[in-house]
Amino acid sequence: MHLVYPLVLAVLLFGIGLYGVLARRNAVLVLMSVELMLNAVNVNLVAFDMWLRDTLHAGQALTLFVITIAAAEIGLGLAIVLMIFRNRATSDVSALRDLAEPGAVPRARRRLRTARTRPGSEAA
Amino acid sequence: MTTAAALATGLPFLAAVLGLAFGRRFPAAARALATLPLAASVLLTWAVAVRHDSGGVTEHGTELTPTGALDITLSMRVDGLSAIVAALVATVALLVQVYSAAYMRKDPRYSSYAALISLFSAAMLLVVYTGDLIVLLVGWEVMGVCSYFLIGHYWETEVARAAAVKAFLVTKLGDVPFLIGVLVLGVGAGSFRIGAIVDGVPPGGAGWATAGTLLMLGGVAGKSAQVPLQTWLPDAMTGPTPVSALIHAATMVAAGAYVVARLYPVFLASDATLVVLAVMAALTMVSSALFAFAQDDLKRVLAWSTVSQLAYMTGGLAAGGRDAAVFHLLTHGAFKALLFLAAGVVIHLAGTGRISDMGGLRRREPLVFWTMTAGLGALVGVPPLSGFFSKEAVLGAAEHTAIDGGAGAPPAVTGWLVIVAGVLTAGLTAAYATRLWLRVFFGEARKPAPEPHGPTPVLMLWPLAVLTVPTVLLGVIGLNESWLPAWLGDADGRAYGSADAANGLLLQAPAYYDLAPRLGTSLAAVALLALGAGAVYALWRRDPAADPARVLGRLRGPAERGFDVDRLYDAVVVRPVWLAARATRFVDRVVIDGYVHAAAQGTWLAGGGVRRSQNGNVQVYLAGVLAGFVVLAVTVAVRA
Amino acid sequence: MSVVLIVAIVLPLIAGSALIAFPVDDRRARYAGVAVTGAVLGLTVVLAGAFDRDDARTMQFETDRAWASSLGLRFHLGVDGISLPLIVLTALLTFLVAVHSLGKLPDGGSARAYVALVLVLEAGVLGTFAALDLILFFLAFEVVLVPMYFLIARWGTPGERGPAAFKFILYTLLGSALMLLGFLLVQAHTGTFDITELAARGGDGMSRGVQITAFLAIGLGLAVKVPMWPLHTWLPDAHTAAPTGGSVLLAGVLLKMGTYGLVRIAVPALPQGAEEFAPYLGAFGAVGIVYGSLVCLALLRSPDGDLKRIIAYSSVGHMGFALLGIATLTAQGINGALFVNIGHGLITGLLFFLAGAVKERSGTALLGRIGGSLYARAPRLGGLLAFAAVAGLGLPGLAGFWGELLAMYGAYHPADELSRGLFLVLLVAAALGTVLTAAYMLGIVRAVCGGPGLAASGTSETDDVGPMAEGAPLVRVDPLPDVGRVDVVAWAPLVAFTVVLGLWPATLLAVTDPAVRALLGGGA
Repeated sequence: MHLVYPLVLAVLLFGIGLYGVLARRNAVLVLMSVELMLNAVNVNLVAFDMWLRDTLHAGQALTLFVITIAAAEIGLGLAIVLMIFRNRATSDVSALRDLAEPGAVPRARRRLRTARTRPGSEAA
Repeated sequence: MTTAAALATGLPFLAAVLGLAFGRRFPAAARALATLPLAASVLLTWAVAVRHDSGGVTEHGTELTPTGALDITLSMRVDGLSAIVAALVATVALLVQVYSAAYMRKDPRYSSYAALISLFSAAMLLVVYTGDLIVLLVGWEVMGVCSYFLIGHYWETEVARAAAVKAFLVTKLGDVPFLIGVLVLGVGAGSFRIGAIVDGVPPGGAGWATAGTLLMLGGVAGKSAQVPLQTWLPDAMTGPTPVSALIHAATMVAAGAYVVARLYPVFLASDATLVVLAVMAALTMVSSALFAFAQDDLKRVLAWSTVSQLAYMTGGLAAGGRDAAVFHLLTHGAFKALLFLAAGVVIHLAGTGRISDMGGLRRREPLVFWTMTAGLGALVGVPPLSGFFSKEAVLGAAEHTAIDGGAGAPPAVTGWLVIVAGVLTAGLTAAYATRLWLRVFFGEARKPAPEPHGPTPVLMLWPLAVLTVPTVLLGVIGLNESWLPAWLGDADGRAYGSADAANGLLLQAPAYYDLAPRLGTSLAAVALLALGAGAVYALWRRDPAADPARVLGRLRGPAERGFDVDRLYDAVVVRPVWLAARATRFVDRVVIDGYVHAAAQGTWLAGGGVRRSQNGNVQVYLAGVLAGFVVLAVTVAVRA
Repeated sequence: MSVVLIVAIVLPLIAGSALIAFPVDDRRARYAGVAVTGAVLGLTVVLAGAFDRDDARTMQFETDRAWASSLGLRFHLGVDGISLPLIVLTALLTFLVAVHSLGKLPDGGSARAYVALVLVLEAGVLGTFAALDLILFFLAFEVVLVPMYFLIARWGTPGERGPAAFKFILYTLLGSALMLLGFLLVQAHTGTFDITELAARGGDGMSRGVQITAFLAIGLGLAVKVPMWPLHTWLPDAHTAAPTGGSVLLAGVLLKMGTYGLVRIAVPALPQGAEEFAPYLGAFGAVGIVYGSLVCLALLRSPDGDLKRIIAYSSVGHMGFALLGIATLTAQGINGALFVNIGHGLITGLLFFLAGAVKERSGTALLGRIGGSLYARAPRLGGLLAFAAVAGLGLPGLAGFWGELLAMYGAYHPADELSRGLFLVLLVAAALGTVLTAAYMLGIVRAVCGGPGLAASGTSETDDVGPMAEGAPLVRVDPLPDVGRVDVVAWAPLVAFTVVLGLWPATLLAVTDPAVRALLGGGA
């Protein structure tokens, strides 16, 4: 079999996964998309392993490795999503913005000024 | 012999260290600590002077700074000049310590005061004895700082604090060129040792010798209070009177002249330096004698008189008369110390330092009257008191330079300057001394004297008696060439003998070694002396209650303030420095620290900009990662 | 004997870590601090005693082990005539600070933490002076920053300490980063981090351009530490805010690491770079001398004239002399710089101790509020302050003078490849700077020690009515606690060494001179 078929498949899988990660808002779908990307890599690994006729079959070994990691990862990820959904009743990633900088720039200026002028401040 | 010299220097130093460290705890020992080591020093210095006998140099040293090319050595160089001056210094210092023990007996700070005087004596002896210019500089500055602390002894008063700082800073300003001059001489001659420098001057002079000596004049002017750095000395009179006697009359202020004498062959080889020195001396001599005439404070009269007499020494040096200048240094040391110590008693009796409040003190303490009369007589140069001979020696040397000159002599102009100024000053000196004498001791008391503190302590009186002896008699030693000149040795320190004089082996023409008065200058000086004294006496007879200084008319105010040189310096130096200081502080705070703060602020701003992209949406971050990856991939692909 | 050197460095590090880790009560911690620093001082004195003075040019007590061989790092320690005096000075000053901490500490934290930080600091400084590997030097150099940051940030003057400590650590870290880049550049071209090796090569293997770049980076990093004008503004803030012990160590020891680095690394290893930048170094040094004194003068009269700030600016001036000396690239000049280092460490250490004492007793360090008349209120303290001020103005016969003299002598006669005219100008500027220095030092004495105060023990009654008759209004002032027992122990050694080094400079120069010559010989 020519190498190009599995590679095209991998590109398609990766592209779909990338789209899902960047564009979907549901956290579960995002996780599924990550899985797609990982599997694209797996396809590549197996394909190149055969193509290069590697006696050690490092590509296939690594694929097994990735599958294991992916299983663990999806377990953790789903658990987190579940926890978030329980607490917030949503799994929309664009709604989860607790780590955003609230109006960063003006506030930074303000803090700088107080640190410089008010002698009592030890904010710096 | 150098061991004795080192001991004489070290003992007072040790006393000073002990006094400063433990003086407060054992006040009882302070007096013994002040006088006994100095007494030993006196014996040692006299022993050195006598053993030294006539001529030759003894030098011994150890290396202080092994730093290669030029090494500084802690060496003692005993020659005629240093042996004699050291004896004078130690003796006056001891007398002042004895006098102070009585004079400062009620002062709780006596122990530190006495320790500082001991330290000063050690420093001055170091300056006198040392054979290394850098070590000389050490002693020179230590003297300055002792002078600073002693002028500021009454630090409760603003005047004393100000005068102390002023004295130190003005002399320090002079020491800047002095230090550079020392470096110039040291590098020029390849050594800082006085002997090597003196021997290293090529005949006919050298560029470095002229440059170095010219620069050194700054320090000489500062220490000896010559124009243009004369203004600190009168203010320094706020210190205790014994200090004025020792430091600001007899010894430290003479150190400027002493250094010139010590390096005399170098100065002699630099005509330009001698001319500058002569101009300086002539200006100082006349102006400060005039200022002395206008003062109302007894000690300030004496201070300006000291400045004027120091100018005789520097003038004598400028005109080629090294032996004459040293002669005057010795006699002046004796009679001016006497005058100050006597002034201390006078102030004590009158309860004030203002001449206009004194009068009629002749009867209160006859001993003081007579000793002070002798001192004033010597100051004026009344024959046959010591001052007459030394002053005539200076004028005689100047006359020789002016008229005979010859190869190797200083330029004739120096001689003329010194003669004219010297003779004029003789008249002015007579005038202010007569004024002082009449106003203090004669007439009626212009202010009721305070209740007597009791009899003047004997310890304050007998130093006066002791000092009167050289004041009257010291002039004799200059009469024969085989006395003082032979004792001093030649200017480069080598032995002096009449045979050398005959063979022309000396550094200078034989006339410069002849200190006996000459007819022409003597007559001129005595005539002007009589004129000055007579005029003041006539003025005083007309109205004994009025101040003869009124004859100055509108000149009197400026003369009393030293022609307002202080205000000039304030405007030209002090104020600009303060302005520069404020400007620098402004620059420091706003400009230099400004860029530091700007860097901090810039970082804050940049951080603020980056924070804006932190919107919390994970997918945006991931898109950023992807974009970065694409950029990298494309770059690598294009490069490959 | 090389073990002694390692122990001297490691002992305070271990002791400091132990104090941080184990809860020891404060009193014991203070005594432990005194004991450990005392032991380190003893060890360094042993080193100084065992030091072969006739062979001061070579490294002694060397340890040279592979450390991270893949990176070419070596654990290389050693002492020669240049570092020995600084090591002893460090041990002495730290010991005195530990003794001083037996007294009252400012609020800010437990004495245990204070002592522990001082110990770690000591280890870092000793390591800096003994390190002979660039990376080891850098590590030790950085270790010092952290304890000093905490000393300022926690025990400093409330209200100033936060920003001051922040400024201190950021400014010096920036310098260190540049320095590290320079080190890496040097290594990239020579393949070694070894300082003695680099000094022996004297710039071989590096083109002129590389040397200039490396000198610029290393020199800038060290110049921040010196501090060289115009990179000095962290110093006054840090000093003003720091507690007494911190100020003493900062001025007495930390600043020396900058000049030491220049002498040890930058000048010998990069001779062409040094030649290129020497005029700038000298000029900035001379500017610093005049500039520092002028700012001090302005502070004397300004309402926010803080005693400690003035002394901090005086450090800028004094270290200017060290820079000028190094810039001459002559044996005299560099010896002078090393002498300035030691003299300044002793004198400014004493000045900061005294300023701290004044601040503690009168509650403020502002000249306008101290109240003057210290001579009357605490005569010994006043006398000592006057002594320290006089030493600080470079009075001949005290330790401050010889360094200045040698630096100026070097400037009169700089190395052949340097411009004579420029250095003459710098010499004049430096000499005038000494007058300005005298002006503000005496100004301090006048403002703090003098005054219309009437001593409780009675006035100075004399027969001398001259100035007293003018009726100066005398004010009765409250006495302040005078010099205490702990103070005597902490200050007396500084006074003694100031006098001894001033009277007999050969004690120091005999040790430094051969090493300086060896460096210059290997370099040029």
